Amino acid sequence: MSYDEWFREDRLPHIYCAGCGNGTIINCTLAAVDQMGWKKEDTVFVSGIGCSSRAPGYILTDSLHTTHGRALAFATGVKMAKPAFNVVVFTGDGDMAAIGGNHFIHACRRNIDMTVVCMNNQIYGMTGGQGSPTTPRGCLSSTTPFGCAEPPFDLCELATAAGANYVARWTSYHVKELEKAVKVGLETPGFSFIEVLVQCPTAFGRRNKFRQVMDHVEFLKSHSLLKAKRDRMLDNHEHVPEDMFVVGELTKRNRPAIGVKP
Amino acid sequence: MKLSIDENRCKGCNLCTKVCPYKIFREGKKLNRKGVAIPELDRPERCTNCRLRNLYGRQLCGVCQLTCPDQAIHWVEEEPYEPHKVAIEY
Repeated sequence: MSYDEWFREDRLPHIYCAGCGNGTIINCTLAAVDQMGWKKEDTVFVSGIGCSSRAPGYILTDSLHTTHGRALAFATGVKMAKPAFNVVVFTGDGDMAAIGGNHFIHACRRNIDMTVVCMNNQIYGMTGGQGSPTTPRGCLSSTTPFGCAEPPFDLCELATAAGANYVARWTSYHVKELEKAVKVGLETPGFSFIEVLVQCPTAFGRRNKFRQVMDHVEFLKSHSLLKAKRDRMLDNHEHVPEDMFVVGELTKRNRPAIGVKP
Repeated sequence: MKLSIDENRCKGCNLCTKVCPYKIFREGKKLNRKGVAIPELDRPERCTNCRLRNLYGRQLCGVCQLTCPDQAIHWVEEEPYEPHKVAIEY
């Protein structure tokens, strides 16, 4: 409705495959940004390389489409040069967790005031479906044709351990919750990290029995476990299923941050 | 207000058919100029946002618009005196 004005209408429709959830995440992020009442000339969207990083090209504000994995490094530069700007980073799992892993943990450690939305499709979608650091155990990809044997990264745990101020995880099915989480992330001074699990019917779903878009979305819906429920299960010494992932607001704290708006 | 689907943007993923609580969107059968089956609207006057948006003065529900990955779903203001059907639900 009102966040339509943030889109570059002349660039739409975007290049994402039919059923890709990245567009959903752009919608939710822009809806949250719109509620903040920021001006377009004071907002910068930064991205690296990958499917997810095409996103700022469809947004009307100034944006940076940078080198692979270095979105956070460039965003740090923007924030240090212009502390009054609002910086939002779109990034993917292959971009941020694989090649940009060190930039990620150091941005968390420095606690720079920015919001990072990580679209985690658990595979390198753009380059042909290679396995990424977040591909779950046993899943097929073009570099793991007999099933991924390595344990995946838990990006939220990593961000919490490295010192981010706000960490949340949602999926592309939970649109309203995601919008609220992004809004809290934008309001929080310091590094806010929102991981979004997203369906990828073309690269991930085709190899992992989620050929239909809705099958993957149903999987994300049924295998997400709310944090409050997980804590309750742990208190009652119940067994938490291994194939489920925790969603919700995982960390919110008040470590000293740098680059906060004067 | 009334629902409208932008034919140029829709890619036919049918995510809207699964998320609408009223099941207003139905899978389309006819292909359009681009070869995409656009979802059909099944009695769109039941939509909460269509009925009550102007009364409450804020966005209601809106899950289809947020979910649509191609930004194809919009609400448009109706023309004055546009005839529309009334759905009564018991």
